[in-house]
Amino acid sequence: MESTLVMIVKSIVIFAFILQIVPIILLAERKLLGRFQSRIGPNRVGPKGLLQPLADVFKLLSKEASAPATAVPWMMAIAPVISIVTAVATLAIIPFGPFDAWGGEFGLYGIDVPIALLYFFAFGSLGFYGLVLGGWASGSKYSFLGAMRAAAQLISYEVALGLSLLGVAMTAGSLSLVDIVEAQDGMWYVVPQFVGFCIFMVAGFAETARAPFDLPEGDAEIVGGYNTEYGGMRFGSFFMAEYIEVIVISAIAAACFLGGWHGPGPVALAPLWMFLKLMAGVFFFIWIRASLPRLRYDQLMSFGWKVLLPLATLNVLVTAFVLVAT
Amino acid sequence: MWFEQVLFFVAAIGALGGALGVVILRNPFYSVLALVAHLVALAMLFLLLHAEFIAAGQVVVYAGAVMVLYVFVVAYIGGSDEPLRPEGGAISTFGPLFAAAIAIELCIAMLGTGLEAVDSKGADIGAGFGSPAAIGELLLRKFLVAFEAASFLLLIAAVGAVVLARRRRGLEEVA
Repeated sequence: MESTLVMIVKSIVIFAFILQIVPIILLAERKLLGRFQSRIGPNRVGPKGLLQPLADVFKLLSKEASAPATAVPWMMAIAPVISIVTAVATLAIIPFGPFDAWGGEFGLYGIDVPIALLYFFAFGSLGFYGLVLGGWASGSKYSFLGAMRAAAQLISYEVALGLSLLGVAMTAGSLSLVDIVEAQDGMWYVVPQFVGFCIFMVAGFAETARAPFDLPEGDAEIVGGYNTEYGGMRFGSFFMAEYIEVIVISAIAAACFLGGWHGPGPVALAPLWMFLKLMAGVFFFIWIRASLPRLRYDQLMSFGWKVLLPLATLNVLVTAFVLVAT
Repeated sequence: MWFEQVLFFVAAIGALGGALGVVILRNPFYSVLALVAHLVALAMLFLLLHAEFIAAGQVVVYAGAVMVLYVFVVAYIGGSDEPLRPEGGAISTFGPLFAAAIAIELCIAMLGTGLEAVDSKGADIGAGFGSPAAIGELLLRKFLVAFEAASFLLLIAAVGAVVLARRRRGLEEVA
């Protein structure tokens, strides 16, 4: 059992980690997108453009938070908070190492709950109230359309996301992420659960509303979707929440399918392996964004319900049969 | 210990406030949001009762899925302020009577049983109480028939909703 002091330190470390990693991922994304598109990317601020995120954040902080006359101001203010809080809360369950990795006094994770996967879904499903309320409260038709798209898209893909992880939970026999990672000592679940892994990644792209599923903020059709009327750091909060969700989805994928902290070398290196796998997931998100065009909205919905959901159900059924037979 | 007590009062006030908001607020969109707040507060109360699985299920199913559909529909067709009182008729006469009857009945029920547990430690809970494994054991072994019957009931409701929606569309085509 861990003392209250350890829990407080852990909370601070999680927040510090996120606040440091998001600007780095932001810069990596802009640099990589540049390379993918045969450009150099941002290279003006600081050596090799390394200080670009600092400039971006300073710009966002110094901007005015304006709102249309038709908006509901208090709800507009609260929506980005919901997005950020729910995204950060999920990070508490990401395991970076076993309990005895560093000295045996504490586990390298925020909390080890027996219902970790459900916890992930609970905060994930609360998170899109941020998008929906933000879009609705803005009092503009583009924001409203973006919010409605977000609601329909997230509720459609959350089912497939849940079913894709059900196979993992059944194979490991637990909903706790720590148990799931420990069960992958011999073989990573990406091998027996390959279909589940593919479904999880596709549905994960839709859950984070990243390209090619970024319909809620499809800038060619509805300006900026739910964040059209947002400016300054409120927009920055939505932006940051999206990147935290990318980290969370990558981390869950790493923990559930890619063996989590398992890797060669001593056990003290566990957080390093977890971090590398997490960043590989983030890189994959950026790679896909640079490679695939945005889908049409009806394509998105029919793909989710007619292809992904039956496939996920089949995956669960086959996994269940295999587990019972062996 | 004091943390649990603080959390209880926060969640209880949230649940009561949310429930009142559903009834009192005039804008249906705010009513739906009050219901969401109420459900989240209820989930916190479940957490205090060591029912983590039910708390997570409450948030995932009700706050995360069912209420999103409510928000979706109300945001599309609602949004305007509704008058609080109906235009008279039987409802405004008998409504308060029935409400008072239910209130009295609830008070009698609560005074009769629930208050005895106040100031005691409550029932003993074993290890693993409220864990996914324990709940799965109960649902799929002890109460399997009731569980399957409930799933059939939900299936019938879903099919019925589809049938009703189909019929409505047929009528529109005739008109």
